[in-house]
Amino acid sequence: MTSPIDIEGGGTSVVVDGEPEPKKKPEEQQLVGRSPGQLMWIRFRRDRAGVISACVVIFFFVIGLAAPLISKLYGKNPYTVYADERPELFDSAGVPLQPNGGISGEFWFGLEPGNGYDVFTKLLYGIRNSLMISLAVTVATVVTGILLGVAAGYLGGKPDFWISRLVDFLLAFPAQLFFIASMPVVVSLFVSPRDETPVYVRVVALIAVQWVLGWMSLARILRGTTLALREREFIEAAKVSGAPPGRIIRKEILPNVVTPILVQSTYMLPNFVTAEAGLSFLGVGIVEPTPDWGQMFSKASTELVMQNDITYMFFPGISMIIFIVAFNLLGDSVRDAFDPKSER
Amino acid sequence: MGKGGRPAYAALSLLAAGALVLTGCSEGGSKGSSNDKENEENAARQQEGIDFGDAKASTGPAAEISGAKPGGTVTVLQRDSFAHLDPGQIYVSDEMALSQLIHRGLTSYKATSDDGKKHEVVGDLATDSGETTDGGKTWTYKLKDGIKWADGSAITAADVRHTFERLFAPFVSNGPTYIQQWMANTPGAEYRKLLPDGPYKGKHLPDSVLSTPDDKTIVFKFEQAKPDLPYALAMAGYSMVSEKKDTKEKYDKAPMAAGPYKIQEFKSGKSMTLVKNTNWDPKTDAVRHQYVDQFNFEFNKQFEDSTKAILDDSGANATAISFSNQVDAGNLSKVLADAALKPRTVSGYQPYVGQMNINLSQPEMQDKAVREAIAYALPITPFVRAFGGTDAMEVAGGLISPTVSGYDPTFDPFGKKKKPAGDPAKAKELLEKAGKTGLKLTFGYINTPEGQQYSTAMAAGLEKAGFDVQRQEIPAETYYDQVSKVKNNYDIFHTAWGADWPSASTVIPPLYDGRQIQDGASNYSHINDEKVNADIDRVSAITDPVKAAAEWNKINEYIVKDVVSNIPTAYYKQTQIAGSKIGGLVYDDVIGGVDPRRLFVK
Repeated sequence: MTSPIDIEGGGTSVVVDGEPEPKKKPEEQQLVGRSPGQLMWIRFRRDRAGVISACVVIFFFVIGLAAPLISKLYGKNPYTVYADERPELFDSAGVPLQPNGGISGEFWFGLEPGNGYDVFTKLLYGIRNSLMISLAVTVATVVTGILLGVAAGYLGGKPDFWISRLVDFLLAFPAQLFFIASMPVVVSLFVSPRDETPVYVRVVALIAVQWVLGWMSLARILRGTTLALREREFIEAAKVSGAPPGRIIRKEILPNVVTPILVQSTYMLPNFVTAEAGLSFLGVGIVEPTPDWGQMFSKASTELVMQNDITYMFFPGISMIIFIVAFNLLGDSVRDAFDPKSER
Repeated sequence: MGKGGRPAYAALSLLAAGALVLTGCSEGGSKGSSNDKENEENAARQQEGIDFGDAKASTGPAAEISGAKPGGTVTVLQRDSFAHLDPGQIYVSDEMALSQLIHRGLTSYKATSDDGKKHEVVGDLATDSGETTDGGKTWTYKLKDGIKWADGSAITAADVRHTFERLFAPFVSNGPTYIQQWMANTPGAEYRKLLPDGPYKGKHLPDSVLSTPDDKTIVFKFEQAKPDLPYALAMAGYSMVSEKKDTKEKYDKAPMAAGPYKIQEFKSGKSMTLVKNTNWDPKTDAVRHQYVDQFNFEFNKQFEDSTKAILDDSGANATAISFSNQVDAGNLSKVLADAALKPRTVSGYQPYVGQMNINLSQPEMQDKAVREAIAYALPITPFVRAFGGTDAMEVAGGLISPTVSGYDPTFDPFGKKKKPAGDPAKAKELLEKAGKTGLKLTFGYINTPEGQQYSTAMAAGLEKAGFDVQRQEIPAETYYDQVSKVKNNYDIFHTAWGADWPSASTVIPPLYDGRQIQDGASNYSHINDEKVNADIDRVSAITDPVKAAAEWNKINEYIVKDVVSNIPTAYYKQTQIAGSKIGGLVYDDVIGGVDPRRLFVK
């Protein structure tokens, strides 16, 4: 038997108040409904590699965006020819006199052999330019892929036939060779013979060329997905209830193809980064003095740098390795989070 | 890859990156050597000039080289195969180097010092460097006794006549044209009308131009005085061709040798073997030796390849050398810093002088203040850096190379030697005074890695002075075609020119004579100055080479300082390397490379 004094005690009420809560929690959890997005977010947060790589990727985008600010605080810009401004730091061939490419408290990542650009700001701006170009290409290809892929899949018939043939035709192009051959042509279309090729023309040309040959794979995937969705009951129900095609595509189909779009674009972006770097490496993309990731690689591969200042290569090299590895791991995690059952 | 594999993959990548960081250390650049001593030597050299040697200096054999012994095989690593072996077609420096071993001309350069820096012109097949009694209008040469072709037949005045007559034949199109133009007394390609088919259809040059009164005597007669004839005759392009064995176009692949070596085998693009010519008599030759038994040429060796092979120095590489390849820019500072390699390397000037041309046809460039501002602002250091530093390029003051008589090392009107990175403050002042700040300057640059590198830094230097520089890339293959068009879009562009013989008469007239402006001509800056034109005519007639050299230098100074149409950038230099068993290694300033005539195997 319980003593009434015990029940009336001031301390017990605390226990009473506290006790029921943990009991209630599991009941509530079972009752909460979650959208696929929330489920994906929970699964993604559990994947530690995914979270770390997402942080790395975000870090790269942040320093890319903040490059002007950082270099302002740092007090240098990537265009100053330090070999002429500070000749005491270089030998006559433009190799920094200090070991390890002239790394010092003043020049954190050293100086570039040749004209002596500051490597730190050059890398920041290189990342900025490369990422902005690649991001623009990704957005352009995704939009094109959605428009043409979903249209082909939903409309069927003649539009499907022509869009599919266009995809086949463009896929037959050897992309890398086409880039190299078409870049100078595209650039020369826009420039007067008295003027220097403006940087924006090269940027626009890079984006355009990669965009034209980059949207097909996503369009194909979306066409297939849309074809499958078109025959599903909920689409037929929408049709029967008199919804116009535009509404069906926007409200019924698009929400169901978000998964392939997100997964594909996280795979595509690092590919565009490397492709853009490749073009600049080959000298048809961004050229000196505009900083660019790939162009730093081509500088690093010259005999002057190889023989005298191998350190230089590690700044663009390691930063790109880290970025590409992180972005690919992120892509894997995003895919796992959306579609846990699928085998890779 | 399964799911479990991913974290391992990530860790591995990071590990690899870490390993790269650890190995990523490198030494700093080399500390530059001082050029003061070299400059002094240059100054001493130019005062001596290159004289014409007499009969005694022209008599063989050439002085023994101390320590030299006969025998052995030398491997020669070359980048380019020889496109031409016919003397009449030779106008490229690597073919000229080969020509020193297999061909002979009427005259030749004899090194009068063991370091290859002092020279005189002597008779080669001729008994002396030539005799003239009327100030250079008539030149008489007599052939030596005992001179023979490789097949044992004698070299006669008929061969000499044939050699010059065939230069007018249409198929001879790659060689020098100086003497043909002098004979016909016309500029450009007009000279071919003098003897349209060469000697092959029975026609010959009249005695009023070239006469051969007997088997040993040759007389040249020109309308105007040509005091430079002994220099011109020493060019490889005027070496002798056998009349009897002339096979016209085919001679280009299998010429008759007269020098100490003859061609045993030539696989174009692959290899060439030279063996001793037993009919060459050292007593008739004051300039060549015949120590080495055999030269084995290998082609398609890039600068990096030949440098690496010679640095390796084992087996056949110990007796390897390259006549034309230089140490590549990447290895250059390493090679020069290594004291053990010092006896195996030679450095010297190439004949080329780099210059920034200001296009005087552009309306904005008519203003002299603008041109002076460009001259003050233009940094030369980017150009020097792009080619490997002061060991490859020396900042120039004038347009006459240190290898040409008349060179003045103190001439430097825009202070480029003291301030090689330019003087933007002074330039800015000049530009502001002229009211042209922000002037658009179109800079045509050659689209090579070097061109891109120096043009960006030069543009940065010019922009500091207040110019709006528009860089325009020009493809490397057509660069000279583009900039030699009279109507081109460029305000400034860079060219280089090398003298054909150590006289400014092969520099000033072709580059700065305003009457020669036409598409494809080498007056790139379109300078057409009455004083320069008149002076060119006046100095061309001066017969004393030393006096002429001083006068040419005055024109050079006037162009650089008063006309400001061409800004000198750099004198080209190179460093060459040989295997440890190669003896007699000397850099010859006139050849512009290793002297192949003196080599022996230790």
